[in-house]
This record gives sequence, C-alpha cells and structure tokens, in this order.
Amino acid sequence: MVETSDIRVVRCGGSKVNLTPPIISSDSRYPFVLCTSGDLVKVYSTRTEEWLHSLQGHTNQVTGITLNPANHLQVYSCSVDGTVKLWDFIDGILIKTFVIGCPLFAIYVLSVIVLSECFQLVSVHLPKSAEQEVEAKEMSAVSSHISKNPSCTAFGRGGEYIAFARHLQLNVYFFRKQKTYSFSLKATDKKGAKNAFTCIACHPTDDCIATGHEDGKIRLWRNFIHKKEYTYSTQHWHHNAVNTLCFTPEGTHLLSGGIESVLVQWQYGAGNRKEFLPRLGGSILHISASSDGQLFCTSHSDNKITVIESSFKVCGVIQGLVKDAVLTDLMIDPRSKALVLNGKPGHLQFYSLLRDKHLYNLDIVQQEYIYEAGLDQFEVVKAAFDIKGSWLATVEERGKKSSDLEFFLKLWAFDERTQSFVLNTTITAAHTDRIISMCFSSSEETTMLVTAAEDSQFKAWCQGADADTQQDQNFWSCDFVGSYHKLNPTNCSFSADSSLLAVSFQEVITIWSPDTWEMLTTLCQPPGVIRDLCFGRLSCSKYLLGTTTKNLLCCWNLLTCELEWSTSVDVSKLQPDPFSENVAAFSYQSKHTDLFVFKPSEPRPLFTNKNVCSEKVHRAVFVPREEPLNSCDESTQWLNRSQLYFLTQNMDLLTFSTATEEDRMLSSSKQLVIDDSVAVTPFYLLLGKHRQQQQKLNTQSHPVSDKPQQTQGSVTIKELLHTPAHVLPAASVLCSMFVNSFLISNTGVQQDPLRYFVHIRLKSNGFSYSVMHLLSISLKFLNSFI
Amino acid sequence: MARPLNLAQPISASAASVQLRMRAVQFSLTRVSRGAGGRMRNGKMAADGGRATLPCSFSPKSQRFLALCAQDGRLRIWNTDSKTLQQEYVPSAHLSAACTCVTWGPCRAVQEVPQRKRRKCEAGSAPEQSDLLALGTAAGSVLIYSTVKGDLHCTLEGGHSGPVNSVQWHPEDSVLYSGSDDTHIAEWDLQTGKVRCKWKADRSAVSSLCISPDGKLLLSAGMTIKMWNLETKEVYRKFTGHSTMVTTLCFATTRPPDSNGMYFLSGAAHDRLLSVWQVRSDGKDKNSVVSFTLTDEPQHIDLQTSNSKDEAVRLAVVCKDGQLHLFEHFLNGPCKKPLSPVCSLQVSTMKGDSPVPVPLLAAALCADRQNLMLAYGHHLQPVMEKTPFNTSERHVCLVRDVHGTLSLSVDTAVSKVKTPVVNKQSKVLVPGLPGHKAPIKLTPNEAEKRKKTDSTTEISIEERLEQIELSVEGRDAGKGSSSLQTDSFAVLLVQGLESKDERILTKIFQTKKEMLIKNTVARLPPSAVLPLLEELSRRLQGHPFAALLIVQWFKAVLTQHTSYLSSLPDLVSQLGSIYHMIESRVKLYQQLTRLHGKLYLLMTQVATNNSAEKVGNISHKAQLVYEEESSDEEEGSGDEGRPEDDSDNWEEDEAAMEVTEDKKNHKDDEEDDEEEDMNDESKANGDSDLDPENESEEE
Repeated sequence: MVETSDIRVVRCGGSKVNLTPPIISSDSRYPFVLCTSGDLVKVYSTRTEEWLHSLQGHTNQVTGITLNPANHLQVYSCSVDGTVKLWDFIDGILIKTFVIGCPLFAIYVLSVIVLSECFQLVSVHLPKSAEQEVEAKEMSAVSSHISKNPSCTAFGRGGEYIAFARHLQLNVYFFRKQKTYSFSLKATDKKGAKNAFTCIACHPTDDCIATGHEDGKIRLWRNFIHKKEYTYSTQHWHHNAVNTLCFTPEGTHLLSGGIESVLVQWQYGAGNRKEFLPRLGGSILHISASSDGQLFCTSHSDNKITVIESSFKVCGVIQGLVKDAVLTDLMIDPRSKALVLNGKPGHLQFYSLLRDKHLYNLDIVQQEYIYEAGLDQFEVVKAAFDIKGSWLATVEERGKKSSDLEFFLKLWAFDERTQSFVLNTTITAAHTDRIISMCFSSSEETTMLVTAAEDSQFKAWCQGADADTQQDQNFWSCDFVGSYHKLNPTNCSFSADSSLLAVSFQEVITIWSPDTWEMLTTLCQPPGVIRDLCFGRLSCSKYLLGTTTKNLLCCWNLLTCELEWSTSVDVSKLQPDPFSENVAAFSYQSKHTDLFVFKPSEPRPLFTNKNVCSEKVHRAVFVPREEPLNSCDESTQWLNRSQLYFLTQNMDLLTFSTATEEDRMLSSSKQLVIDDSVAVTPFYLLLGKHRQQQQKLNTQSHPVSDKPQQTQGSVTIKELLHTPAHVLPAASVLCSMFVNSFLISNTGVQQDPLRYFVHIRLKSNGFSYSVMHLLSISLKFLNSFI
Repeated sequence: MARPLNLAQPISASAASVQLRMRAVQFSLTRVSRGAGGRMRNGKMAADGGRATLPCSFSPKSQRFLALCAQDGRLRIWNTDSKTLQQEYVPSAHLSAACTCVTWGPCRAVQEVPQRKRRKCEAGSAPEQSDLLALGTAAGSVLIYSTVKGDLHCTLEGGHSGPVNSVQWHPEDSVLYSGSDDTHIAEWDLQTGKVRCKWKADRSAVSSLCISPDGKLLLSAGMTIKMWNLETKEVYRKFTGHSTMVTTLCFATTRPPDSNGMYFLSGAAHDRLLSVWQVRSDGKDKNSVVSFTLTDEPQHIDLQTSNSKDEAVRLAVVCKDGQLHLFEHFLNGPCKKPLSPVCSLQVSTMKGDSPVPVPLLAAALCADRQNLMLAYGHHLQPVMEKTPFNTSERHVCLVRDVHGTLSLSVDTAVSKVKTPVVNKQSKVLVPGLPGHKAPIKLTPNEAEKRKKTDSTTEISIEERLEQIELSVEGRDAGKGSSSLQTDSFAVLLVQGLESKDERILTKIFQTKKEMLIKNTVARLPPSAVLPLLEELSRRLQGHPFAALLIVQWFKAVLTQHTSYLSSLPDLVSQLGSIYHMIESRVKLYQQLTRLHGKLYLLMTQVATNNSAEKVGNISHKAQLVYEEESSDEEEGSGDEGRPEDDSDNWEEDEAAMEVTEDKKNHKDDEEDDEEEDMNDESKANGDSDLDPENESEEE
C-alpha cells in the first residue's frame, strides 16, 4: 500500500449518537448528557446543547454506557474491543480498564453484567484492584438465549432479578434463588396481534415488569415470583411496535415510545391515564430518565437526542448529522458555506463542516411527516444551488413505482430582505417521468436550470421568459425541450462559463449551445452508458470528462472533438474542484475504494490514495477553505484551496487532513486555564451574607477563639476536598468522618451548623456537588443531634 | 435603567473632568429615557440617532456568535450561522449592575488535538473556538461567561470600586485587564481569580483599554492615551489630542514597536474623526498621523491587519447614527488630509412606502477578506447577515425586511427547523399552462419567410375582406329562416369583452347551442376576436367541464376567423400555449379510451348476463365520448405538425396546404396551418352532429 506521508483520511461530521440510550447526570452543577458516538463517549451540556468533551480510549465502537451505581460521577462504558472502562466523566479522566476479552454489546451494571459475542448474557465480577488495567476473568453465564436487542434485558428492583425476553418468551432470573422462571405468550391471538417482545423495563421499587410488544401493546406483569400465578394487564396505544420503555426513578410513571415519535407517559397504577408529547421527529429509539426524575432524554432515529423536562416540555435538542437516507448530492450552500443534504424527512439539512455542527433544517415539502411504516410520503430527491446561492431548485417525489409517481420541481429564491428562501415557482409534472439529473448554469449573469428525465427529454428552464406575467416578480418557465433519438438522458453538465451544455443520452454525449439551443456535436466513443460527466475548468476548460459503466474514464478535447485519452478505471464518482483544474475520481475495485486526483490535460494522476475506505463512494464534494493553505508539496497541493469530503455507502462522512493543517492547529491551540469558580446561587447570596456578617463579628469579637476551630475543621475538609473524587472512599466512611469533625467544632462554641455548610460549600468549588450530598446527610444528622 | 450608578458617582477633582463627567451623566440620562421609550414601543425600531450604545461583540476569528447585552440587562448570544438565539443569560444582578462592556476571550483548544498516528480518528473538529466572554458590570465586578456551559465560569470581584469601562484579554496568558471609572487598571490572574496587580492609570476614569497583539504593551485612555509596558507597568508613551473621552482604541499593526511601523487608532465621544497614531522610536509622535472621517461618533470598530505589504489595512466602523463606514488604507507615514470612507453602508426597511433607516449594531470583517458580517435591527432581535465586501460603490443601502423577522419567539432554537416563505405570489406551473413547455417561437428562418410572403400580403388583405364578405353572405343566405333576435350574442359579447364583465361573459359562454355560437362568432368584428381568444384561453385553463363548453367557442373562432388570425404574426406564442394545453389534456386520451372500451365490454357482458339488453345509460356515455373525440382529432392533427419536428417535414406541410387551400395566399407558419387543419376537421365534425341537435330543438 502506497500511503502518502502526510495526508490521512479522517472521519468528520460525528457518528451516530442514537445507538445506545443516553445518560443524564443531574448531580453536577450542569446536567450533562452522555452518549456513545463511534469509539467515543461524548459529553454534552443540556443547557447549551454544546459538546463539552469526549471520553477517548476505546478502540472500537462503544456499545453501552451506564452510570456507576456506587459513584454517580463515574460511568462505565463497554465496547466491541472487549474492554469495560470506568471514567470520571466530568473531567474526562479514564480511571480503570477491565479487559473482558470478547466483544461486548451491552452493559447492565449492578455487578457488571455484560451481553457478549454470541448474545449470551454473562455476569462478570469486576475485581477490585488499584491497577489501571485489570483483567476480569471471573465470568458466569446467566443465559444464552437472549435477544440481540439490548433493550430486551432489564434489572429489577435493586438487582434482585433480571428480566430478559426473546421472541415470545419472557424470562426472569432471580439471583438469590439462582432460578429462571419463563412465561410465554402465543405467537398471535384471535385478532391476529403479533405478540413478540420488543422491550422490557422493570419497576424500580415494585415487583412489576413492563414489556412492549410488536403490535404496540404494553403488558404489565405482576406476581411473577410464583411461577404459575403470574398475572398481566394489557394497555394499548401505540399502533406499531413499542421501541422502548422506561420507568421514572420514583416509579410513578412509565414512558414509552415507538415509530410514531410520540412520547407517551403512563401513570403507573392508574390504568389508562396518559400524557402525550407528539411530533418529536424521528421514531423514538431509546428513552432514559435522570436520577432525580427532572429530565428525560429520548434518542431518535434521525441521529438526535431530545432533552425533555418532566413537565413535558422540550428544552434541548442535540442534533447530529443526519445520514440515514441521503438521496440528494452533497452540496455546498454558497452563502453560508454549509454542507447541504437530506435531513429530516422532507427537509434539507444545513451542516457547518467548519464547526462540525448542525445548523438547521429547511422545510421543503411543508407537509407533516407521518411516522408510520408503509406510508408513501414526499421526499426531497434532488437539489441544486446556483453559483451565487440566490436560487435553490428542489425536486420532491413520492411513489416508488413509475405508475403512481408524483413529483414537483420547486424553485426557491433567496430573498435578501427577509434573509430566507422564498418559493418562486412550483412546477408539477415537469417531466412525464422521473428526473435523473439537474444542474444550474454556472455563469453569474443569467441563471438557467436544466433537468434531464427518464422521459427521454431534457428541459431548460429560464427566469422571466414568460411574457404574460407583468408583475415585478420573475417566474421560471420552460425555455427549451431537447431530446436525442428518443434515448433516455443519463446526466447533464454545464461548462465553467456556461457556454456549453453537455447532456449524455445513454452512450452518446450531445453538446448544446444554451444561447441558440443548437446541437453542436455528438461524442460517442466509448462502449457503455455514460455515468458521470464534467467539464474541465480554468486552463483545462477545453476538456470534457466522462465515465461509463464499462469501466472507462474518457477525456475529450472539445476543440477537435476527439477523444484525448481514456483509461480503464471503474469510476463510481467523478467530482471536479470548482476552485482549480483538479478532478477527483473515486474508483471501486475489489472491495476497496481508491482515489485519483488528476488534471484533465494529462492522464497522469497528481495524487493517488489507495484504499481510502472499504465501501463504494457515490457522493463527494469539494468545500472551499476559509483560509487557503500554502503547502508546496505536490501531493498535498490539491488540498490547498478546498477540501474534499465524501460519503461512503455506510454513510460515513470522511475527508482528508494534511500535515500542514494539523501543524497549524497544534500551533494555534493553547490551553487557557481559568479558575472555574462560581457559586452565585440564591442560596449562596442568602447564606453568604449571613456568613460574612458572622465572620466579621467573629473577627471583631473573638478572633483568638475562632482560629483553632477553623483549622481543626479544615483538616478533615482539606483531606476530603484535595483528594480526587474518584479515589475517595465510600460515602458511608466519609460521612462519619465528616460528622465527627463537626461535632468537635460544635463542642467548642455554639455555632450555627449552616455556617459550616456554607464554608465548605465555598471551598469545595470544583466538585461541590459530590460533597453536597454528604453534607446534606450530615446536616440532617446534626440537626437531630442538636 | 442603563446606569443608575452614574448619578451616585463621586465627582472627580479636576474641573475639566467635572465637566466631562456632567456631560456623561446627562448623556446617560438621555440614554435612559430613550431606551425606556424604545422598550415601551415594544419591539418597534428605535431608529432615532441617539440610541443607547449597548455592549455588542462578534466572537473572534469566524464570527460564530454575536454577544449582545440588551436594555433589559440580559446577555444574549446569537448564532450567526443559523441566525437564531443560542443562549440567554440573566446575570443575577442585572437590574442593579448593568453590563457595561463585553469582550470575547482568545481562542483556546477545547478538546485534545487529534493524534497523528491513528488513521481514522475523528477529525480535529472545531479546533479554534472562543467560548469565554468577559463582562464588565456597573458594580465594578467582571463576570466570565462560558458559552459552552451556558453559565458563568467565574466572577472576578473586589477589583474596582466604580463601573468597569473596558475589559481586555491578554492574547497569550490567562490574564485579564480591566479599566474602571475609579481611575485604576486591574490585572487579573484568571487561574486564581484574584487581582494580581492594580495601578492608577489616570486622573480621570479609564474609558478604554487595548493590548498589543504581542501582549507586551497596553494602551489605556482616560484624559490622555497612555501606552504601558506590561512587564514593568511603566508608562512607555503618552499621546494627547482628543478633547473628549476616548471611547475606542485599537492596534492596527502587529509589528514590534522598535521599528516605526507600530500604529494604533483611537476614537472619542462626539468626535467625528478616528485618529491614527504612530509610535516612533525617536519619540516624535505627538500628533496623529492619519485621520478617518465619520458621520458620527464611532460605536463599534473592527480592524483587519494586513498580512503582506500589498494588502491594505481594512477598517469597518459602525457609527452612532447606525451607518457603517469601510476604509482601506496603507499605513505608511503621515497623511495630511482626513480620509473619507471607501464605502458607506446603511440598512433600511420599508415602512409603507417610505424607507426607514435601521441602525447597524456591529460589523466584523470576515477572515476570507471577501465578506462582512453585519448585525442590525433591534437589540432584542438583531438580524445577522453576511454580505460581500464591495467597494465599487461609495454608498450602499441594503433594503431589508426587519419587521417580518421580528418575532420574539425562541421556538426555532429548539426545533431547529427553518421554514422558507411560501406565499401566494409564487407561481404554480401545471402541464398545459404557458411556460410548462418550451414556448413556440417563430422558426429561425422566419425572416426569409416573411420576405417571401411580403409581396403577397397586400392582395391577401383584399382577398381576406372578400372572403369575409363571402362567408357572411353565404351564412346569411343559408339561414334566412332563423330568427334574428336569438341567434347571436355578438353585441353582448363585444360589450362583455370590452367591459370585462365576468357575469355577462359567463352567461354567454354557458350557451350550448352550436348554431348560436357559430352565429355569434361570425358576427364579431375582427377587433373583438383577439380579446375573445384571450378570454377563451384563460377560461380553458379552468375546470375541464367548463372547457367542454369553451372548446366549442374556440372551434367557432378558429373556423370563422382563421384568415384574420393568420395575419397576426405575434399570435403564434399564444396559440402555442393553447396548443400545449390541449396536448397535455389529451395526453391520456388514448389510455382512457382503451380503458373505456374495456369497461364498456365488461359492462355490456354483465348487462347481457344479468337480464335483457339495457344499454340506455351506456348510450348516454357514448355522447360524452363524442365531445372528447373532437379533441382527439385535435390531438391527431397536433401530432402531424409538432413544432419540434424537422423543418423539411414542415415544408411538406406547407406544400400540402397550398394544394388544398390555394385561395388563401397568406403568410402562415406551421402552427397556424396545423390549427387550420384541425379546424377543418372539427368543422366537418361540428356540422355533422349539429344537425340532430338542431332538429331536436326544433321539435
């Protein structure tokens, strides 16, 4: 493999954030949301929806995260690489690594239990050790018959039993008795309902298991401690499979979600009383609740996490790049330089690559999308921007079969007055069959849109050619209809100065002049249907490139109308750089994709990168750089002015990063350390004043008697506060120590316990909340004591 | 509300500063009243000149955020990419200690730099991000706010006894400088959150600060501008020149001070000049070297230093009157004349018909040196926009619809969906409407054809007149028996067309009698034919059932007035659109007839099976088919002379025409003759079935 030294492929745009249930930690000053994303665990702030930091360390996909029940500032994560890691997620520190040895697919912590390779449920005892890396070998299999879906397993009632379901059977394993009870349902009942289990949740305090089913029913199982006398009650609201179930921490409510993207809150024990939060967008995959029950989190199929308050109000959305069903090409909005592609159903999403952040979705279809299986709804299939970004053309389509095909061509003008897109013209049935290719002319003076469709015609649309509209607004209308021997067009492309239009009809390329609509010439050298077409730019503007299905890359000279050169490469995507002469070609051969960058004037590639990725590449785009690089190295020169992004079949957005770029990044990045100290809460204001007054009083009246107590008290406090949170002993140990220290001080002078509280509160800045908990206990204790 | 503390401020010692102070107090009073007025109008634009200058700042480098402290004391962070409100923060003391200045911190690496070794790790995304904001308050404290956390990062207290006027971050170290009304400058150590050093800088309030890009020098402005050496905290230089309070200071070059290339600029209250000062090693720098003229006192400036010698320094100044002035200048020694801006930019909105100016709040020059980031409108709802940096015109006025965007809702931030405007002004093109297909134009060799036919036109007019007379006579002769009063609506129709009376026209077009239509059309004066045609084509685009009636009229017009129509060369496009419509309407005809035939077969079989022959309703259906048969013929004729067809084909057509209709020697093009073809046939059709209908009526 010839790996060029300083260019490497990097992933960008983030990975899926919706693979596993997110975790909300509400104990620290700011509520965090943790979610897995590729081989990282990302920590977001719920308040600002910003990505704070990530936990790096796993070498493969992270498959599960769960809070450490012993310390709620720590989190366990498991990964396909066979390790379980324990993190301090506030500071992003890796505390421990447990090597299990086989790929792990889910983690349920009590005494860490892991779902492993061949979908066995295995209980692993995590050894206590001071070392960083620990090998955990003590395993005991619980069951080998579990579902692949991690949400089909749940712990019940403080870990007394574990419930897991597979197909039509619900199993409950009691740890104390070491016994498994199983209950099964019939495949279908009289009404033809599908009874297979889809998810499980256990009530935190009650002996109750809630199960979701494929037909949308929720069953609440009770009395399952006895094998025969179990009962269940059924509730039905979802019309499709229940994807996820979650009890609130107090167990007062049950939350459920499915494909309808409606969050349903059932009141526990009150039968059918329920609340709804509809239109969350994307089907709900997971629900989780924070430990205080104040916040809920739902993760959706469109790579999104929604943060919901307990009053059923959406308070935050963490949106990743939606890459599920990309039908449009990758485009760059010339105005905002954002990447544009399919987003929510019926929307175009704008994604800032520079900041790696989702900007917004543009509603193109403007119809409520109904999340239901088997509905045929409008979807944006083609979109194009003109060169200045003042026009956007979209094609929305529905109907898989050609007989019930329905599509619109919409032209949107960017209105500078309102700073938004305004619908200018809607064209229904612009062609009699599906539009295959669409492009805007690239000249700045006149904009023209060309659409080529399967009805063996291509149409040129112009603005204002319509005579009978006397309004000040210019609408689009058809200017020319062209066809060639009733062949189906396959692609169309404008030259850089828009003086030529190339339309390929199967094997033949026709060259038209857009001014007079005369067909200038036809080029039909290669065997095979033309797949991609592009004109050369700048100094290479006399060349036209084409790729065929028969693995040929051809270059024609338009001055002589002859084939200049051709090579045998199976090109899956040909992408010209709008800022230079370069053209990038992705070729797929024997299970990996190679990239060639070349100038049309010579068949020798400027840059070759073998094995860019293992999947086919169908979409790529050159993105202009904000500041051009000035690398002189020949192999990286092509990346000076623009950056190449491409989307693989697995929907990974990848790009190339050069050494100069990284050096610049290294040089510019500096760590600014700022003392993180705020405690301006109303509580502080109230008590702080009190304290200040008292301190004044103390310092004035008896400064001598106050001093020793301060130091006495502060020894233990110092000890406590200056040890990192994750190495602290158990809370029960600390508590007694704490309280003791208070007791000593209290015997000296009668003082208000609150004073100490505030005192510690102030000092503890960094992890005040961890101590807070303890303190509240000790205060209670003190109160009872006094 | 803006600064109540100002009133309680102890008045400084010197007489001059007392005056200044008083003016400032007065000024702040006017600000307060205006600000309140603006708020009472609740969101309406306070476009008057003397707005309160509220702290407002774009984040550095990429202008991702706009931080703005509005009159209500809240800090709002706007996202310039999505143009939505990102965060809102209410300082706990926002009513008593208003925020007086906002400064973004230097960019810092938030996450680790990507490892070089690993091949496919996440790209080093968002490498340079500035997430910290320093807010100076009227109470003398400095708040550090983090946009990532959406909360305060820390508070710096106990440094000043008066309002903080300016906050500056050190570009390298975690050090912050603040200048206050208490005449002191404080140096804060951010790692501990304590004052590291504090010194008296001036006899009066320190109104502005600026740190040199290398972090070694500090400019402060009170009565005079002083340059401090930050290592020794000693005055390096003094500059005097402004008679009023200096409000803005900014370094213009990055070069070290030992050469003479160190420049900075300053602007003062009520001063319509920005001064540029040169720091010279020989100490001859008592006067400003260059000055820029403005229209009002500077409020917000952004400066882009030059990277190379042939790049000018760019300067964007937002004045108090809401205008933006752009300057480009090579800093190269003194320049006597004040420089005027290369471009002045103003934003306005339309209130009714008259434009109303919209004040600009801030402007920033983008790193790509091609664009400008603007923020304008109301403080509670600013509008952010990126416009190209265009210096070709001296005055630019951007007309923007500010009222449309002013709605105090934060919902967009949560849903992250933007809905583009869809109003009724947009056009819908359906098959058949003009514009859906390429317009039928005169063929390229039209000019030649004209020449060819020019000689014959004169005769043809005569002949045409003759022909009209003939046809009129013939018709009169043929139908003497019919009553004169009811057989034509010609007069009424002309009246209706002239007055465009919808009622009359609908009434007329509702008639079904073939003869009546024919007569009416025949008696129409030629001048009314064109309006009638337009009206008919307009009505034809409506509901298909209406079209059933209209087609008859259309047929009549085309048959009766062919000669007149063909003399009008510009009618081609209009008839073309009608042709397109007919074509698209009958496109499914073949399939429909096929389906109808099959259904008919089925129905008859079912009927025969069930009982005795009962085909009454089917015969009724057949009548309906007849109507469409006529249009079928139209389609058939249309196919012959498709405009896309080659021209040789067309020649043949013309030849054929000449054979069949040798009388008409007029100029005609393909469209017309195809229409005529169609007309002839449809006329024949019309005649043939006209009779039974007539008979039935006579009965």
